[in-house]
Amino acid sequence: MRSLPEADPGVPDIRSPLRYLWWNARRQTPSLLAGIGFATLWWLVQALMPAVLGKGIDAVTAKDSRALVLWASILFGLGLLQAFTGIMRHRMAVYNWLAAAYRTVQVTARQAARLGATLPKRLSTGEVVSVGNSDIAHIGSSMDILLRGVGSVVAIVTVTVILISTSLPLGLLVLFGVPLMAVAVGPLLKPLHRRQARQRELTGDLSTRAADIVAGLRVLRGIGGEQVFAGRYRDGSQQVRRAGVRVAGVESVLEGAQIVLPGLLIAVVTGIGASFAVDGKIPTGQLVSFYLYAVFLIGPLRTLTEMADKLTKGHVAAGRVIRILSMEPDLTGGTGSSAGGVLRDSYSGVTLQPGWLTAVAANAPEDAIAIADRLGRYAEGDVMFGATDLSLLPMEEVRARIVVADNGARLFTGPLRDELDVRGTASDEEVWQALQAACAEDIVEALPDGLSSMVAEAGREFSGGQQQRLRLVRALLADPEVLILVEPTSAVDAHTEARIAERLAKARAGRTTMVCTTSPLVLDRTDHVLYVEGGRVLAEGTHRQLLDDSPAYAATVTRGEG
Amino acid sequence: MAREILPVADRKQVRAYARRLTLRYPRQLAIALALHGLAAVAGLVVPWQLGQLVQDLQYGVTVNVAVVAAAIGGFLLLQGALVRFAVLASARLGEKVLAELREEFVDRVLGLPLSTVERAGAGDLITRTSRDVDSLSRTVRHAVPETLIALVTFLITIGALLLVSPLLMLPMLIAGPVIWVSTRWYLQRARDGYLRENAAYADMTEGLAETVEGARAVEALRLQERRRARTDGDIGSSFAAESYTLGLRTRWYPAVELGYVIPVVATVLVGGLFYTNGWVALSQVATATLYAQQLIDPLDRFLMWIDELQVGGASMARLLGVANVPDDRVAGSSQPSGELLEADDVRYAYREGRDVLHGVSLTVRPGERLAMVGPSGAGKSTLGRLLAGIHGPRTGSVTVGGTPLVDLPLDDLRGHVALVTQEHHVFKGTLRDNLLIARPDAADDAVRQALDAVDALAWVLALPQGLETEVGSGGHAVSPAHAQQLALARLVLADPHTLVLDEATSLIDPRAARNLERSLAAVLDGRTVIAIAHRLYTAHDADRVAVVEDGRITELGPHEELVARGGSYAALWTSWHGTPADTHS
Repeated sequence: MRSLPEADPGVPDIRSPLRYLWWNARRQTPSLLAGIGFATLWWLVQALMPAVLGKGIDAVTAKDSRALVLWASILFGLGLLQAFTGIMRHRMAVYNWLAAAYRTVQVTARQAARLGATLPKRLSTGEVVSVGNSDIAHIGSSMDILLRGVGSVVAIVTVTVILISTSLPLGLLVLFGVPLMAVAVGPLLKPLHRRQARQRELTGDLSTRAADIVAGLRVLRGIGGEQVFAGRYRDGSQQVRRAGVRVAGVESVLEGAQIVLPGLLIAVVTGIGASFAVDGKIPTGQLVSFYLYAVFLIGPLRTLTEMADKLTKGHVAAGRVIRILSMEPDLTGGTGSSAGGVLRDSYSGVTLQPGWLTAVAANAPEDAIAIADRLGRYAEGDVMFGATDLSLLPMEEVRARIVVADNGARLFTGPLRDELDVRGTASDEEVWQALQAACAEDIVEALPDGLSSMVAEAGREFSGGQQQRLRLVRALLADPEVLILVEPTSAVDAHTEARIAERLAKARAGRTTMVCTTSPLVLDRTDHVLYVEGGRVLAEGTHRQLLDDSPAYAATVTRGEG
Repeated sequence: MAREILPVADRKQVRAYARRLTLRYPRQLAIALALHGLAAVAGLVVPWQLGQLVQDLQYGVTVNVAVVAAAIGGFLLLQGALVRFAVLASARLGEKVLAELREEFVDRVLGLPLSTVERAGAGDLITRTSRDVDSLSRTVRHAVPETLIALVTFLITIGALLLVSPLLMLPMLIAGPVIWVSTRWYLQRARDGYLRENAAYADMTEGLAETVEGARAVEALRLQERRRARTDGDIGSSFAAESYTLGLRTRWYPAVELGYVIPVVATVLVGGLFYTNGWVALSQVATATLYAQQLIDPLDRFLMWIDELQVGGASMARLLGVANVPDDRVAGSSQPSGELLEADDVRYAYREGRDVLHGVSLTVRPGERLAMVGPSGAGKSTLGRLLAGIHGPRTGSVTVGGTPLVDLPLDDLRGHVALVTQEHHVFKGTLRDNLLIARPDAADDAVRQALDAVDALAWVLALPQGLETEVGSGGHAVSPAHAQQLALARLVLADPHTLVLDEATSLIDPRAARNLERSLAAVLDGRTVIAIAHRLYTAHDADRVAVVEDGRITELGPHEELVARGGSYAALWTSWHGTPADTHS
């Protein structure tokens, strides 16, 4: 077994779900074939057991000690072989499961990184969660089941051949009886799946309800209403209980049927075997073999049903995965180059002078976001970077030179220092300077291990204001040629906001920076302010000038004061 | 950072609870077990019949084949029917116990002390509510019945074997030590191995979700290579953990399988020897051999499920642990006389030796509006929580009408002081449900008035279903700003005489926020309001302003006075307002 993950998962075949599964199978052909080999051997050993045991009983009947020892030894040998092939089959099954699941994680993560900003626009969070939670497991299972599935077909055929060679009617009975038994439980599956779906749905609702209570626990504990919620949860919980009992209603019938249906076959096979034995056509021991064959067949039979189920689920899961894999980024770059300089969005008229700290104050926040998106090339627009059209630059270069930091940009799980200095190039001193500029030293100082502390759950343990300041640190440490900050201080208090505004100019001295904000504390400390109304620049100047000259601006930034 | 803040129950508590739970419905349990037992007995009749058949054939006794076949079929039919009712009965019982288990857990969560809830945050509790409840459900639904049934079947089969021939029981005993020793070895390592495996797997899927959800940030900061490395690293850890448990199984499975096959071989061999010597009958040998074979299934099921039982036990320990949080207040007997809120020389530390408040004294007059401003981390929110009675001070006292807040029973406390933070949460349910939390018996008029007081009536009525609109997860999306309005409306309904607002309007558009605060002030006229503010007009509109810096109140007084004093508040005001403060009216 080679170690996983593969360094390069390869290029998936995304033409259809089946092709995707096939591509996976092809990528792991050697381990898959080895696994199928062991699984087949494992089933065959089990299929031979009844015959050998029958011979043993025959030897007992005949009081033939030498034959008894011989057959007992063979039986023990088969037992050893079964243990060996069993564990090898299991090892290969796990390996194949993991290989396919891991590969799917790899290609999905790589695709997500490639799509970038395009992805959230096209995909709901639910679909993503589904890939992580169940799809990779289903794709793994579809590989795993191939091992036992193929083996069980071989086992059924083998037993049938043995039985046919003993007695044609008996063999035919098994040949047709076994699939019939498999089909006979079919009508139960539909209501079972329906009730299971209902149970899953209710369970999901109940979990949501519980999570809802926990998430709002502070509110509840602060103001009361616990009894109302406890009552509601209890109602939901009782619904889940009833749904569970309804599932068990069908499930229990299925369990019973899985004893009764093969039981009929066992009874008939044993009956026929007995009549042969009465007629002296077969030795008595072989009667025991017949019985054991019929009992044995239950195993492979169930495996076949399982295979149908798992392959179907794998197919559905593969469909969801290839939907993600077949997406293409919205925007692509060119091959041009730019010496940099003035960055200008011609629709709004927003112009960023190199080296300046420019503020954009819009009366509608969406306008500022749209401008930031165009300047950072997250949206199509008529933007010039120096003398070059921004859309002609390679995408990679645009991202390297112009960074848009918005409040949706999340922190990632990992050691804090690594998550702030994402390029890993800053010195400790530079990190602390950035922390100081964003007034975030207190956050780090409060952590048990300072900068080495782990950021868990994508920073959700930090408060909104803390997350915002850490995001600002990260943006400052990226130190791009042009930095566009969208509402970087919306969640911090006035004192801190004033300090950040003061330090931001120093931290970005000589570099081009744009801040979208309507906070006077920040606006007052920028070099130049552009006032945007209706998506276009209406007035510009310093904060003080605009306060005096533009009543609309004054109204926007003084927040209804006066 | 993923701190385990809440306690975990110890082994003794878990065992005691599991025992109580199992025996809570003795009748149902007995019925379920009896049905399973009968089903096992029915299943054991067939090999016995077969053994008889083999003997009869051997001795030339006339055999009616049709009757034999019908009898075998009949007993299997009976077994099938018994299994059906047994499974149903145990599922009924299991679902019932499970429902009680999760309901009791939620009750415990809802009863957690205020200070724990405020400090612990949601992370640990959410994990317990989702992952541990799920994992325990799996255990109760599958592992517990499967192991119980397997045990019953196993014991009955052994019993049947003893009935057939105690002598032929001997070969079974050889297998005992093999299975016992290998299983002990395995179980000692399995639990940690599987916990590590699950954690690594969860890390991997969470990493994937993070990459997908944060895809824009990945692009913006060019983190593609890092995310790729992170994914592959996570997969590597997961594979290492899986390989470890696979290694455990690679040693355990063959040993157990050997334990299964030894009795079968030994029974044939020894049975043949005994038969030759005339110690046992042929039918006994045949039946015993089949029973030896039939023992494999329950034993195998039992062994396969016991590590799942261990995992369920770990989850149960975490669910029960919530009950181990000590209550943070003992209600005293004294009743507040009046509404005067007083903090006297208050110190408080979240971690030992690191006080965040250094001897703060403050008197808030009834009906006064006090604004608290200051840099983040200065202790404003902590002081707010102390004034709301969430935490008790380390030294000093916080009293209302002379009675310490932490001596008040919770329900009384809420009648005096309420806290609203910037944390906005909209509960799943209708808008009306979301408001009635504060006062379940409030009439529609009161609800409307409360909404009107927070400027929310217009948008609520504009919704197609008005107050009946479903909100929260899966329902109509309520913006953070509207959610804050709802939180404030709740407060109006609850109507305590003192309110602590910690950045309670921070997410609302600045201009709307000021309107809201003004209309709220009209409704709350006569109430005491302590507002921790992020926007300075709140301070400007208040009766008094307290500047909190470095765990102390450094300036305290009316807005004009502080501006005139020229201290840090004045500096802030000037820069925020953009005009010299004294010209402002």
